[in-house]
Amino acid sequence: MFHPATVACALAFALLSAGCGGDDAVSGGAEDLPGPVPSGVSFQEPPADALQAPDFSAQLVDGTPVTASELWDDRPLVLVFTASWCGTCAEIHRTAARAVAGQEGAVALLGLVPADDGEPARDYAAELDLGHPLAVASEDVWLDYAAREPPLVALVAPGGRLLRGWPGGVEEAVLVRELDALVER
Amino acid sequence: MRRFVPALLAAAGLAGCGGSGDGLDVRITLVVPDENVRVEGTECAGARPFQYVHAEASYALEDEDGETLAEGELPAGRAVNADPSIDWGVERIPTFCVLELELDDVPRRPGYALRLERGSPLPFGASLVEGGDPVRLTVR
Repeated sequence: MFHPATVACALAFALLSAGCGGDDAVSGGAEDLPGPVPSGVSFQEPPADALQAPDFSAQLVDGTPVTASELWDDRPLVLVFTASWCGTCAEIHRTAARAVAGQEGAVALLGLVPADDGEPARDYAAELDLGHPLAVASEDVWLDYAAREPPLVALVAPGGRLLRGWPGGVEEAVLVRELDALVER
Repeated sequence: MRRFVPALLAAAGLAGCGGSGDGLDVRITLVVPDENVRVEGTECAGARPFQYVHAEASYALEDEDGETLAEGELPAGRAVNADPSIDWGVERIPTFCVLELELDDVPRRPGYALRLERGSPLPFGASLVEGGDPVRLTVR
C-alpha cells in the first residue's frame, strides 16, 4: 500500500507531465505553419516577366526557423510586414488573414516584424491569434522588399515570383480578387 | 524621529521643492524627413533609414551637460506633405512623418537636446521654448 503523500506527489507529477495548467503553443509559432495544400487545387501561372521574390530565412516568434521559399514552393504566399507598435498594422494583418482564410489552406500567410520587435511581437501575435506564423525579419529582408515602413503587404506566386506589393496595406476585396485569380479549383 | 520624515517630505512637496510647477512646458514638433509615399494625414512612423522613430520608442530630453531631464515614449506620427508647393494630383504623395511631443514641467536650463534611440541628439535653446510655440526639430 502506498503512502497517501506518495500518491499525491505521483498524481501531481502525472498532471504536470500531461501539460495540465497551460498550453505551450505560441501564437504565430510553429503550430501556425500551414499544412499540406488541399487536394484538387492548382494555380495560375505567374507572368513570365515577374521578378523573383528575394528568398530569406527568419525565426518565428517561438524560435522556429522558417524559410520563405519553402512556404511559396507549392502555394501563393502573402507577406505582411508589420510591427507591434504600429497602430494601423493589426487591422491590415487581420484583413490579409481574412482574405487568405477564404482560400481554405491554398494560400499561406507570413507576418514579419522588425528585428528589434521580437519580444513585443509575441504579445502582438497572441492578441491577434490569427492562426498564421509570425517571424522576426532582419533589416536586409525589409530592404529587399522595399518595406521602408510597416504596414506593407506583398503577394508571391507559387514558385516565388513577386506579383504585387501594397505599401500602407491593401483592402480585403482587392486581395481577395488577386487570390481568386491565382487559385483554381 | 522616523515619524517626522514623511511629514517633512510632504511639507517639502507642498512648498514646491524638487522643481514641480517651476519648470517649462516643452512642446516639440519632431519632423522625420523620410519623403515616404503615404496618404496625407495618415498615421506613420519614420521610414528607413529613420525606422527607429516610431510609436513607443523611447526618447530623453537632456540638458547641455547630458543630464536627463525627462524621458518618455514617442507617439505615433502623422504624414504631412513633403512639399506643399507641389500639387501632386494623386492621393499617395511624398510625405514627412511628424510627431508631436509634450513634456510638462521640464527644469529650466539654457539649452536642451532631444535624444532618440539612434542618431545624433537634436539640440535647441531655451529661448525657443519660452516663445510658446512648439520647437521644430528635424531628425538627421
